Amino acid sequence: MSAVQTLDISPVGRVEGDLDVRVDITDGVVTNAWTSAELFRGFEIILRDKDPQAGLVVTPRACGICGASHLTCAAWALDTAWATEVPRNAILARNLGQIAESLQSQPRYFYGLYAIDMTNKKYRNSKFYEEACKRFAPFTGTSYELGVTISGKPVEIYALLGGQWPHSSYMVPGGVMCAPTLTDITRSRSILEYFKTTWLEPAWLGCSLERYEQIKTYDDFMAWLDESPAHANSDLGFYWRMGLDIGLDKYGGGVGKYISWGYLPHEDKYQKPTIDGRNAALIMKGGVYDGKTDTHVLMDQKYARENVMHAWYDEGDNDTHPFDRTTRAVSKNTPDFNGKYSWSTAVSHVDSGRLEAGPFARQMVAGGQHGEAWQHYDGLILDMYKKMGGPSLHLRQIARMHETIKLYRQAERCLAEFRLNDPWYIKPKERDGRGWGATEAIRGALCHWIEVKDGKIKNYQIIAPTTWNVGPRDGQNIRGPIEEALVGTPIADPTDPVEVGHVARSFDSCLVCTVHAHDGKTGKELARFRTA
Amino acid sequence: MANLLWLQGGACSGNTMSFLNAEEPSACDLVTDFGINVLWHPSLGVELGDNVKKILLDCISGKIALDIFVFEGTVVTAPNGTGEWNRFAGRAMQDWVRELSKAATYVVAVGDCATWGGIPATAPNPSESRGMQFLKREKGGFLGDGFKSKSGLPVVNIPGCPAHPDWITQIVVAIATGRGADIAVDEFHRPKTFFQSFTQTGCTRNMHFAYKVSATEFGQRKGCLFYDLGCRGPMTHSPCNRILWNRQSSKTRAGMPCLGCTEPEFPFFDLAPGTVFKTQTVMGVPKDLPLGVDKKGYIALTGAAKNAAPAWAEQDLFVV
Repeated sequence: MSAVQTLDISPVGRVEGDLDVRVDITDGVVTNAWTSAELFRGFEIILRDKDPQAGLVVTPRACGICGASHLTCAAWALDTAWATEVPRNAILARNLGQIAESLQSQPRYFYGLYAIDMTNKKYRNSKFYEEACKRFAPFTGTSYELGVTISGKPVEIYALLGGQWPHSSYMVPGGVMCAPTLTDITRSRSILEYFKTTWLEPAWLGCSLERYEQIKTYDDFMAWLDESPAHANSDLGFYWRMGLDIGLDKYGGGVGKYISWGYLPHEDKYQKPTIDGRNAALIMKGGVYDGKTDTHVLMDQKYARENVMHAWYDEGDNDTHPFDRTTRAVSKNTPDFNGKYSWSTAVSHVDSGRLEAGPFARQMVAGGQHGEAWQHYDGLILDMYKKMGGPSLHLRQIARMHETIKLYRQAERCLAEFRLNDPWYIKPKERDGRGWGATEAIRGALCHWIEVKDGKIKNYQIIAPTTWNVGPRDGQNIRGPIEEALVGTPIADPTDPVEVGHVARSFDSCLVCTVHAHDGKTGKELARFRTA
Repeated sequence: MANLLWLQGGACSGNTMSFLNAEEPSACDLVTDFGINVLWHPSLGVELGDNVKKILLDCISGKIALDIFVFEGTVVTAPNGTGEWNRFAGRAMQDWVRELSKAATYVVAVGDCATWGGIPATAPNPSESRGMQFLKREKGGFLGDGFKSKSGLPVVNIPGCPAHPDWITQIVVAIATGRGADIAVDEFHRPKTFFQSFTQTGCTRNMHFAYKVSATEFGQRKGCLFYDLGCRGPMTHSPCNRILWNRQSSKTRAGMPCLGCTEPEFPFFDLAPGTVFKTQTVMGVPKDLPLGVDKKGYIALTGAAKNAAPAWAEQDLFVV
């Protein structure tokens, strides 16, 4: 019988917030895994009994990385609770703000958080290694510096709408606070253009957006790659080739089931927003995709459940709908890997169980024929998934960056659709009620539930993308998506488990919404590892 | 060459994200042009696990000279002062903060959480969060009233939710270029170079303030946000309208009331029902008046201003 080595990694780092991972390794392969989130701030508790609009101020501060997405959820949640009317300009302005934040995140995440690992000494024998170091080395790499610097540009558009990024509260029930002028629009258009001509086309794609958009299938992509050295040597082409060379397509798959709430409500179809009317009003449709049965179904908030059997909350062991959560933290949070070991809850779909959230999930859903005929459809990543034999951390990256081009086009569309003389805000009447707002933060499915009673917040609950992904085991002791994705990961050198970092980071986990990380001091620790 | 270590406690990463928007210098320029050696950063650091621990321990022992210790986020002290609700690299984050602050030449708190406690410390403050040297307006904070880093300065507070990237990078550049002694701080340890003027200074809606023309609803291009929509621009110390955000704008320029996020009380009124985006008034007079103005003076001033208001003040000044 092979010996099991247990490795506690604290912190994993570069996952936006700190993540602790414990893995069991048998014969050089991860055979079991636990992900722990280690910061409790209690935002849901803070929001209790506050002004109904407090969520607009507080929840963007749950996460400085996807604050616009939180603000979007908070605004739509109040819209549905207050039964507002939202003018089309405001829907477009909210969408544009969120897209700007997402465009910021793409290069910042890829170069700043993820691609650094390509310079790890483990890959020194790869023929791509020297070039990877030249491009991706932190601070000094040619692509790193360009990518991290360019990431500050798209949010200039957010600033033109909301005054600043991060942490503006310009989206409010009934619309937005701003009323952009012509120069705000033309300036935004110019910023987009700069983003495209400085990074997206020359550095990332090595071709025009139009050429890239012709790629509809795996075969199209491979043909594009071979078509010209500019394609093969772009950061996308280079990353694709190196990823395969170092075997990133061989692990990190995960649970094989995916969720997206869908996002970008259509400006003409969601002006009187309701919880029930949301699915049909979205440009980017939501849904659940089950890879095993190859089926797509629509998603609804009523299917969401949280379980705290392995989380540091004292709310019973049953699966609970967020409207029924009470957020009672346990006072003593000693990690117990058979019991409670994380501040993240285990989120599931009442029928489909544990689901992966994120850009990869969105592309798997985008490849479905479900939803409305006019909604966005894109089969590329689903085709790659099928041709490449299933999910992997390689495909997760490709899916994330593939979305950049689509977001860019949606930003152009928002700017084209604004009607500067039309209203941006319709003052709503405050009232009691229940509301729900959802969107897709760049890193995945995000939603807020609010209950307003007697003019104040009775209950506010958030399920962030990372809560789906980084959650611990659930009531049936089923592993969370990242825990599952870690199982089967080959570890070349247990003193330098860079592969664990790859898998964890490929989800772009953002533990600041959920929590933070640490080391439990339980079990044996293997010391000393670096990722580069 | 200066060694910089950046850690996060009860944080949202917003200050890091803001920092990465910096342009002059950019985060990369700080390293390549100003010789800042980033020992570790939660979002950017290369090391993980025990190697991070080793860097921290070497800073504490003095093996690595810790020139600048930047802290983002609150110091979480729950439960019961143990700090166990925010553990990092094997122990309570608060223990790292205490020891690293002692070892550092300069200690810089970025953002409201690290300066005053910010959102996490809002009542009922479930994580028992504190700022580094203040809890709201109360002196002392986590490190105590008497704390001074080796430079002789107390914790340099760069508040804001988040702090503007320029406020962060310029302080770092000042230290790296030998101008640390020029950092003059106010009674809340904020660098005066940034925080002596008001958010209102430079606001494009200033003329509407002067003539008491109010923005009565959101989505209006004209009007001052102070009278009805709860703007705290005249009472808040910040250069938001002098040093624009993301090089483009500010909240008040775009139409969002200032929330007063560089002041220790943020979020004001603890977000009690009826206080969000609504000016608190007594018999029509705002409860909080522009700094240094009394009620009588305010009434006289606004009466005169209203009478003197030109016709254009009621028009859409920033027309489509």
